Amino acid sequence: MDPFLLTVWVVRLLFLGLLYLFLFRIARALVGDLRAAAREPGAELGRLVVVASPAGEPEEGTSLALDAIATLGRDVNNAIVIEDQFVSAEHAILTFRGRAWYLEDLGSTNGTFVNGAPVEGVAPLGFGDVIQLGQVRLRLERPRAARSGR
Amino acid sequence: MTAAAPSLPAILGPIRPRPRGRETRLLVIVAVTILVGSVSLELARRVTDPGESQGLSPANPLHLAIYLGLIGMAHVVLILSGRRMDQILLPATAMLGGISLLLMERLPQTQVVQSVGPWTLGLGDIQLAWLILSFSLATILAVTVRSDRWLRLYKYTWAAAGVGLLVATYFLGDDINGQRLSLSLGPISGQPAELLKVILVVFLAGYLSEYRPLLVEESTKVGPISLPPLPFLAPMVAMWAIALGLVVVQRDLGAALLFFTVFLCLLYAATGRVGYVVVGVVLFLAGSFVMYHLVATVQTRVDIWLDPFKSASGDGYQIVQSLYAFARGGLLGTGLGAGLPTVGGNLPIPAVHTDFPLAALGEELGLVGVMAILGLFLVVVERGLRIAASAADEFRALLAAGLALVIGTQALIIAAGNLKLIPLTGITLPFVSYGGSSLLVNGIIVGLLLALSDRGVEPPPPPRPRSRLARLTGRVTRLETPDRARAPLPPAREPGR
Repeated sequence: MDPFLLTVWVVRLLFLGLLYLFLFRIARALVGDLRAAAREPGAELGRLVVVASPAGEPEEGTSLALDAIATLGRDVNNAIVIEDQFVSAEHAILTFRGRAWYLEDLGSTNGTFVNGAPVEGVAPLGFGDVIQLGQVRLRLERPRAARSGR
Repeated sequence: MTAAAPSLPAILGPIRPRPRGRETRLLVIVAVTILVGSVSLELARRVTDPGESQGLSPANPLHLAIYLGLIGMAHVVLILSGRRMDQILLPATAMLGGISLLLMERLPQTQVVQSVGPWTLGLGDIQLAWLILSFSLATILAVTVRSDRWLRLYKYTWAAAGVGLLVATYFLGDDINGQRLSLSLGPISGQPAELLKVILVVFLAGYLSEYRPLLVEESTKVGPISLPPLPFLAPMVAMWAIALGLVVVQRDLGAALLFFTVFLCLLYAATGRVGYVVVGVVLFLAGSFVMYHLVATVQTRVDIWLDPFKSASGDGYQIVQSLYAFARGGLLGTGLGAGLPTVGGNLPIPAVHTDFPLAALGEELGLVGVMAILGLFLVVVERGLRIAASAADEFRALLAAGLALVIGTQALIIAAGNLKLIPLTGITLPFVSYGGSSLLVNGIIVGLLLALSDRGVEPPPPPRPRSRLARLTGRVTRLETPDRARAPLPPAREPGR
């Protein structure tokens, strides 16, 4: 065969081959990401980040992983214990029902607030909302996914 | 690059470079691939025109060097920025841009000619210029966007700007486009719609993230079917009306289809409710049916789609030629630069550089090459959804998902149109088609996605007090008690700020 035409063919196929090599390398990186995500312990449903906490317990900036049901209050038996003199022993409860988070006030003395509005009954929450109990403000954030691609 | 370095700290603070090893390795493969493609293009040229110098050389060394230099510079800037950003988006889009450059160099340069001062620029030159602007824009946005406040807090302003853009196009359309499109190409109304799709995603992300709790929770029972709450169907109807308006007023089927698809995808992503999608699809089918009988353009497009060979030399000409091109390509293609036989000195497909780049690539790279290109789009969408999944709050998640879906949906619509899977609509293949506004907007999208992928530079701003939402929330809790369960829903209102 004519060596020139052979070269043409080889270069053509090399181009296609390199395209697939590129895709293969990306696919391997993506699979690596997925594996890393699978290795992460327990799928969490959301996080609470402490925005303001004058009493220092929990500390500001702390990020707390949430289970499907999380009680908040001053009593040590709560899932999230908040040391603040304006917080009741059993203050509020956060629940994840199916698709969204809900916040319910458990008859606290000073009330529970979502983005500054008092909670009456059960309030649906969106990620990014700020809830307030006593002087403590907490922000609901999306669950942390695996660190990927960086 | 080093020249710009000393001025950086003044704007962005001290430089703390962060290595991006994965991106570096992938970009090396991109560079080699584009180089090989260029050599392949040059070899194909020599097959038909022998007698030139022997040995391997790229087709247009200057273009190639400029493009690869540009990508390299973007990479260095991202490293210097020190942000933990996604490392796969840039290589994937750089590969698409490189393939676009090869294709535009390969097509007859007289397809688009523009004179700038003393120079006469051909198709390849102009595309390279737009690619430079596009990737520069992406890099600048990726490095400088540290907060999404300016998008998040002004969603209604953005929406108003988008509507204003549409209205302006309607009234001043010819003048504006007469100036802008002195390049004389394809679907003129595509220009503002390009920017509009980003604005749409910003607005939808803002709206849906604010009202998500209500959209998820409430429902209106109609017999056994549980429908979404009626007041919140208003935006869906509005969206549907805008899409239909686009079709009626601007004859822009592609943009209408794209907007509505992205809207439904985002609505589903935000709520996870199939009911919305069902309602949307029903609305879409009803609208399509009415449009088919009312608007001549729609009717022509659908008729061509049903049987292009009926008018193979008339309306159906382009799509028939596109099918022939795919058929000639076969499995491995004819090789870059060796396909697309000219008919009387003209290309078989007149709009090959804007609407049918996939047909040209299908002929020259074959099924194998087209699959690889579709794979690249899949990678871009996957990255966008991954960025969305690891975002800190709803707005960022929906924004990232929406931006990625815009690119994915657009590629899907035009690829399916070229292959006669759906009626052809004139929109661009992202990053590959010729066209300035399309490339620039795609640059914006990639830049925003990169910036969003850097988690935790600035925590999301505190949401505004939801006075309105609190009222509605109160209603939710009341509705849960049985005696008030039949309480009438308030009339649909435009959501206020």
